[in-house]
Amino acid sequence: MLRLIGVGGVIAYRALFNWTTPAMFVGTLLVGPVFQLLFFAFLGRQLGVGSDHFYIVGNAVFASATACVYGGVMAVANERRFGTLGHVLLSPRSRTAIFLGRALPYAANGLLVAAITLLGGVLVLGLSVPGSALPGLLLAFAAGSVSSAFFGLALGAVGLRLRDVWLISNVAVALMLLLTAVNVPAAALPEWIRAVGSFVPITHAAEAARRLAAEGSPADSLAPLGVELVVGVAYAGLAAVLLRIFEAESRRRASLDTL
Amino acid sequence: MNLVRMLAVGTWLHVKQLSRSPFEIATSILIPLVQATLAVYLFRASPQPQALLGAAVGAGLMGVWSSVLFGSGGAIQRHRWEGTLEVLLLAPRRPALVILPFTFATAVTGAYSIMATLLWGRLLYGIRLTFADPVGFVVAVPVCVLSLGMFGLLLASTFVLMRNANALTNALEYPIWLLSGMLIPITALPGWTGPIAAVLPTTWGSRAVRAAATGGDVWPLLAVCLAISLVCLVLGALALSYVERRARVAATLALS
Repeated sequence: MLRLIGVGGVIAYRALFNWTTPAMFVGTLLVGPVFQLLFFAFLGRQLGVGSDHFYIVGNAVFASATACVYGGVMAVANERRFGTLGHVLLSPRSRTAIFLGRALPYAANGLLVAAITLLGGVLVLGLSVPGSALPGLLLAFAAGSVSSAFFGLALGAVGLRLRDVWLISNVAVALMLLLTAVNVPAAALPEWIRAVGSFVPITHAAEAARRLAAEGSPADSLAPLGVELVVGVAYAGLAAVLLRIFEAESRRRASLDTL
Repeated sequence: MNLVRMLAVGTWLHVKQLSRSPFEIATSILIPLVQATLAVYLFRASPQPQALLGAAVGAGLMGVWSSVLFGSGGAIQRHRWEGTLEVLLLAPRRPALVILPFTFATAVTGAYSIMATLLWGRLLYGIRLTFADPVGFVVAVPVCVLSLGMFGLLLASTFVLMRNANALTNALEYPIWLLSGMLIPITALPGWTGPIAAVLPTTWGSRAVRAAATGGDVWPLLAVCLAISLVCLVLGALALSYVERRARVAATLALS
């Protein structure tokens, strides 16, 4: 089972990424997030809202989420686009395990993207992160990446039913920017947005990362990290259920490869 | 007259196509609304009083740019996937004249963003739509949209040649929002960004629209925006003819 999840996931990740180029990877996943970070950091400076530290750490976590949500969606949607979904669903092994395994390389990718975005922010805006906080920060990025990848997988599962999954994923990522309070201090958001945001990936990971980067005690970040992992597990469960339901539905309606 | 008719009919055709695409509608309306909401909460959180109308207009302009950026490239890529790009470029008109209606259309649908964010701001946050120069605003928005359409042509020329031009588009959204001062005044940015911002039509277009909304001299800004956009149009037309020839020689036109 571990081989199916691990090796299968890595092979699928390589196969999907082989369609693209290093320029695409750098432009989309590395350059774009650094400019997003700079945009919000300068906006915050201009308005006198939040510190550079607030925007750098928040946007580093958000960068991982963007990579992971789209990655999770691609793990399902691109199989259909490239005409290989039928072959995957013909497999005698558990499709739940296959697809959950697909999300994990994207989570690792998200971790890399978050680390590079953080580095970019530190270099351009001059934030100092204590060395002792780095392991905890990586843990927070990893937790955010995993929950975002499973969230993406759940959205990708919806793509088995809908024709244009990219519409949902684009709107979802835009909403995450608002709901997760990565770019607006939570206190400035209305209660209902904060309530909805607490169920959205990376909200708690960003909070944990900010506490760690502010030289807080690692113990302070354990509670938000734990909640982030619970959110991630919940989305993994949701993705598994949706994949089963929509796979059965797609077979019944013969709409598996309908684009 | 034939030329104007061709551009008008082509633009209208593509506007109709884009207006029936849920993806384009979401990009032009829903996402700018989320950004406008974010901007309103950020502006409200500021200890200094901020003009919320600026947040709504700025978020709308950001939507226009996103629409042009992704739309211009997306249209060519879509025709490439559908196998119609060769047919389009076989037309007995210059490539620029065939592609320009796409880019105008993406800018026009992007203009939904400004209307949507203004309406959203008025209905949800009670932002008073009191423009400092209403006539200037009514003129500045279409001129800005037209200018971005011409700038889009320069961008589109890269999409004919590059198979992975998406890498460029994905990386260009935030830098242009930032450098053009769509939400943040350019004065808040490091000094070295000034010369880059000065050559972008988006900078002058945004400044003109914001000046019309919140106060300032609209017309000189609009004139500079239009002048730079015309330069972009000429450069885009030359670049498009060049890359189209290169794509034909290298047989990469239809490769997706």
